[in-house]
Amino acid sequence: MTLDALYRERPRDWFLRGSALFAFGLVLLSLAVGDYALSDMWSPRAMRNLSRFLGEIQPTWTLAWWVETVPLVAVTNTVALAVAATGLATGAGAVLSLAAARTMATPEPWLPAGKPPSMIARRGWDIVVGSARFTLTVLRAIPEYVWAFLLVALLGTGAWPAVLALALHNAGILGKLFAETVEDVDSAAPRALRGLGGTRLQVFSGAVLPTVMNRWLLYVFVRWETCIREATVVGLLGVVSLGWFIGDARSRTHYDEMVALIGVGALLILAGDAMSIWLRAKLRNR
Amino acid sequence: MRRATWVTGALATLLAALWLRLDPRDLLAAKPDLLWDFITAAPRPALVDEATGEIFLPPLVLEAAWATVTFAAAGMGLAVLVAAPLTVLASTRFSGGGWTCTAVRTLIAGMRSVHELLWAILFLAAIGLTQASAVIAIAIPFAGTLAKVFSELLDEAPVEAANALQAGGASELQSLVFAVIPQAMPDLASYGLYRFECALRSSAVLGFFGFPTLGYALSSSADSAHFHELWTYLYALFLLVWIADRWSWAVRRRLVRA
Repeated sequence: MTLDALYRERPRDWFLRGSALFAFGLVLLSLAVGDYALSDMWSPRAMRNLSRFLGEIQPTWTLAWWVETVPLVAVTNTVALAVAATGLATGAGAVLSLAAARTMATPEPWLPAGKPPSMIARRGWDIVVGSARFTLTVLRAIPEYVWAFLLVALLGTGAWPAVLALALHNAGILGKLFAETVEDVDSAAPRALRGLGGTRLQVFSGAVLPTVMNRWLLYVFVRWETCIREATVVGLLGVVSLGWFIGDARSRTHYDEMVALIGVGALLILAGDAMSIWLRAKLRNR
Repeated sequence: MRRATWVTGALATLLAALWLRLDPRDLLAAKPDLLWDFITAAPRPALVDEATGEIFLPPLVLEAAWATVTFAAAGMGLAVLVAAPLTVLASTRFSGGGWTCTAVRTLIAGMRSVHELLWAILFLAAIGLTQASAVIAIAIPFAGTLAKVFSELLDEAPVEAANALQAGGASELQSLVFAVIPQAMPDLASYGLYRFECALRSSAVLGFFGFPTLGYALSSSADSAHFHELWTYLYALFLLVWIADRWSWAVRRRLVRA
């Protein structure tokens, strides 16, 4: 076969080509129609703003200034928000994932039952899976910040709206990932347990959970990294995390403090990432 | 190790909840009337502007949704452009892991470690409200994340084809373009699409800082307690993210199969 013939027989998929073309076109169109001429950034007004901004962030670089600017409670609250939210999201995601996994939420988990399940049982479990998946989709489609905004409006400011916002969005993501791992489990062990007469929950805790645990933990740590990022930012809505102090410095136009706080946030995120990467590497080697 | 990690995690959650004084009773003591108004408005999203009574569904909602899409797409386009050279420089295979590699990886980590909303705040303070600042605010952290993950994907791609090309006299760049990138393409494309979904969400949220995306519409409806309108915008946001999710799922399925 000549190279030409090989080239003509390469795999082609019109949907993929269309998608690539569409994505490319969308980016070009967006860059063209948007009112974001980069020259705006070099307009005289922007330059005046910039020089004022740079003038204001000449820092005072003394230890006392840093201690005064960056309260410890901002850092501890940010970490606590992320931890509490990740914990709640893990619990909620785990429960929802069981209802969303097709191998669990079916009238015949892993083994065909003695007699074929009734139509009602089949439809009933279909509804369970469908509504669990729909819930997960809704939870993760709405960004953390929007959840937080709505919850602050409905519950008032405090730690609850921030924790719930992060937990809801991440429960949607973790639930989906958890359900996928449950469905991918090798069926030998669950089938054996089921054959011995184990109930759905017994099969899950005896044969499924031990195999998926490691993977679940990896996912939890990945989401914890994102939670630290988002815990900083939801503070802008009035929850006392780093973001609250950033917003406060911004409204007082103390831009040196704002930049310092954003820098501390960046360091916190880098530290969180490093810790999570270290833990995940340890878990992988087990 | 695993059990210890789970137990530590559970204890840490409890400790964090105590530190933040999370009391379940506070949830019940919230504003029940407001909550009721909000929930009962869900099945009846507004089709007219609640302040002026004008028909608003097609023009205003579509405008906000379109702005959300264009900011996200422009941000992603810029991010991919910036990420491309950084990806190659940060990959162990092509940079050899020297000091350039370390420097580029540090740069990438710095770009990622500041959230897009905080980049937006910095640009708002430094330059003012221009649409370019929103797009660049999305592009910086997204370029960092893309470069990190893309360089890992390039390093994980199979080496045989690239080695064969280089043994036949191809340069590093030629082996990258003709062997490594085509082999890593399915993974690169699916991760890129996933990030586009994230960019949509970020672009919507940037609206809370005055950019004309869905977040702006959401916050102004909520501020004037126009809950029916709020639901219209929430449905629009959900629909947008859902469409992107379905699209990227369909593409990913075909990429894996091809």
